[in-house]
Amino acid sequence: MTTSKKTSSRAACALLAAVLGMGTTPAWSGAGQPGHGHDAAPAQGHMMGGQGMPGQMMGTQGMPGHHGAAPAIGGPGKAADVTRTIDITMQDNFYEPAEIAVKAGETVHFKIVNKGTLLHEFGLGTAAMHAAHQKEMMVMMEHGMIEADRVNHERMKMSHGPGQMAMSHSHGADQGSVLVEPGKSAEIIWKFPKEATLEFACNVPGHYESGMMGPIRIK
Amino acid sequence: MRRLMLAALAAILLAPATARAGTYDLTIGTAAINVAGKDQTAMTINGSIPGPVLRFKEGEDLVINVTNTLAEDTSIHWHGLILPYQQDGVPGISFPGIKPGETFTYRFPAQQAGTYWYHSHSGMQEAVGMYGALVIEPKAREPFRYDREHVIVLSDWHPDDSPHKILSNLKMSADYYNYQKRTLSTFVDDAGKMGLGAALADRMDWGDMRMLPSDIADVSGYVFLANGRNTEQNWTGLFKPGERVRLRFINAAAMTFFDVRIPGLKMTVVQADGNNVRPVPVDEFRIAVAETYDVIVRPTEDKAYAVLAESMARTGFARATLAPRMGMAGDIPANRPKQYLTMADMGMAHGDMAGMAGMDHGTMGQGATHTMPDGSTMAGTRHEGQGMTHAMPDGTTMKGESHAGHSMPAQPTHTMPDGATMAGMDHSAHGAPASGDKADPFYAPGSGLMPKAAEGGKFLSYADLKAIKPLYPDRPAAREIEVRLTGNMERYVWSINGVKYSDAEPIRLKFGERVRFKFVNETMMTHPMHLHGMWQILDNGSGKYNPAKHTISIAPGKTVEADIEADAEGEWAFHCHLMYHMATGMFRKVVVERETAEAVR
Ligand SMILES: [Cu+2]
Ligand SMILES: [Cu+2]
Repeated sequence: MTTSKKTSSRAACALLAAVLGMGTTPAWSGAGQPGHGHDAAPAQGHMMGGQGMPGQMMGTQGMPGHHGAAPAIGGPGKAADVTRTIDITMQDNFYEPAEIAVKAGETVHFKIVNKGTLLHEFGLGTAAMHAAHQKEMMVMMEHGMIEADRVNHERMKMSHGPGQMAMSHSHGADQGSVLVEPGKSAEIIWKFPKEATLEFACNVPGHYESGMMGPIRIK
Repeated sequence: MRRLMLAALAAILLAPATARAGTYDLTIGTAAINVAGKDQTAMTINGSIPGPVLRFKEGEDLVINVTNTLAEDTSIHWHGLILPYQQDGVPGISFPGIKPGETFTYRFPAQQAGTYWYHSHSGMQEAVGMYGALVIEPKAREPFRYDREHVIVLSDWHPDDSPHKILSNLKMSADYYNYQKRTLSTFVDDAGKMGLGAALADRMDWGDMRMLPSDIADVSGYVFLANGRNTEQNWTGLFKPGERVRLRFINAAAMTFFDVRIPGLKMTVVQADGNNVRPVPVDEFRIAVAETYDVIVRPTEDKAYAVLAESMARTGFARATLAPRMGMAGDIPANRPKQYLTMADMGMAHGDMAGMAGMDHGTMGQGATHTMPDGSTMAGTRHEGQGMTHAMPDGTTMKGESHAGHSMPAQPTHTMPDGATMAGMDHSAHGAPASGDKADPFYAPGSGLMPKAAEGGKFLSYADLKAIKPLYPDRPAAREIEVRLTGNMERYVWSINGVKYSDAEPIRLKFGERVRFKFVNETMMTHPMHLHGMWQILDNGSGKYNPAKHTISIAPGKTVEADIEADAEGEWAFHCHLMYHMATGMFRKVVVERETAEAVR
């Protein structure tokens, strides 16, 4: 039960990455993307590439087109292409509206505000992706990285080495998922594919299960 | 135009007034039931076991007429409801009771929402059928969503003996119903495992306690019921695959704690004792006598799912079925092995026996998978700060998948950002899912009652219950009242602080004060302590999010604390909800009164 101070943060980072990498689907993968910000610990890599390769260290090399192997859920969109703005209100524990309809290939600007008392996520993905993400969030909660009503940035830092932007592993507007603390707001610009069976969901433990999810109908 | 106006008028007329009044009629009588192969007489409310599900709306002014057609006095108590004490239905405390042939009219507002229940508080009528579910629909939208709901009332029925016979049998010999006696051969086994000396010491200690190590339940022989049906009668609730189903579980048993699971379904606990909690996904939960838990499940397959409520002593099941069509049945597995109390449950584990206390650290550090031993549920208090470190021998596990393929850093240990393991943690869970078994801090380490999910995974702990919207602002209690749970097993007398009800002075609380009840369980039984009229805010380490409960179960050898906001003037019952513990004296009157000067004013 001894811990080397020197290696602890790097190792923890690898652990978290391993945790998050497990079964991660590429929607939340951001490894190697410019500005992802994990250059401080290259040895461990940040296995958020997912790529359907659990059980394997991922390098930090750029992964252009890393959504390629994934179900086509779309990707970050350009502000100039936005044809529709959808306001999303988060409550404990549900969204308003309860479902979303978009046009095939449309770029949508989501403006999300958390009016509840708990931490919530707005994530875009397939049901299977959400199911995988729920397991990750459970581990993050068990380790104090997320708490009921906030993201514990210290814990995230501790597990990632100093100065790192931990949450961007699995959450980030460019990955179709944001964690929003009570009273705060966030935005996502997302270009939807021509067709897909998608849900928007909160994967904070217990929230999806209690109904904090809804269908995205692509017409 | 005219049509529009009419529509508007109709809308006005249909809009609920600020308080609706609802009138309900209940008739207390008897009926034959057959849950043990023969017709037997039960005491019933509106002719059935359980009584009807009463559905109220929050804010509704209730008028409930209860007519007694029995040849003896009766009463109805509204379990968990906040109401004027004269409406609480406890004979001798809130009112004189309802005489044969009389109708008593209860009037009170429904000022809360959630799943509750109601039962007789006269004699031992509750044990022979007088209980039912009570559901109050909230005014505001709930913090969860579901497509349909079912109420599941769990209970026990004794096919051989009446409550009075059971009590006199217990008084004659406290182990009258103890069918699980350990034998000479288990002694020889133990002697082999722990050494002859330790085994002898163990037996002598049990002798000193005048108890047997198998006394998990005082009464056995029960038939267990779900909504009044035994396992063959198989109460069935319907669903369409993919629907979210809310199950409102109520334990209306006289003496039985149940461990509830639905093989193949994760249950998300959303409410405990009527109050919303942050959702907790679990595989199994224990429901003490008189508690309620609401869970949400989402069965996706077109098949029958068994709802299994196994008695804590592992003597049998109540079984219900969730199915897409009637006529289907979920499978009933074998009972789990019998559980035995350990020295830990006596609150006196011996040094030389610590190893037998279920603390298996043996697998630590081997194997490629393990559960994160973060101890973060240890009464929830160890989360904060300090940046404690913990050596993790390897990569971590998600849902028991092997990480064998992960190339982990050469350094085999690393820091976890949260709390380290502490004494009492059960490392035997290594290899289980990350969200899986941990020692429950609400049981003595090594307790024979320590819950463990039958099929692996997460077993709900009191430590997981966190209020979504606390009912009261957090503040320190002005004083502490020690509530020692005591008993003389040999004479089958149960008591509080060594004094049984008939000999005791009431507990007096000042109106407006916050007091802390410190429950110290000095017995080997688990006691679900119920306070009428006011919430008990369970200190599970969640601070201002500590959950408010009407019933708090205290395991053997444990001390559990709860705060009470004394905001309800009057005289209230406070008791263990095990029928034969309540009946023999584990009961107090609690008086909430204004200080004289204030009363005069
Ligand atoms: Cu008791
Ligand atoms: Cu009571």
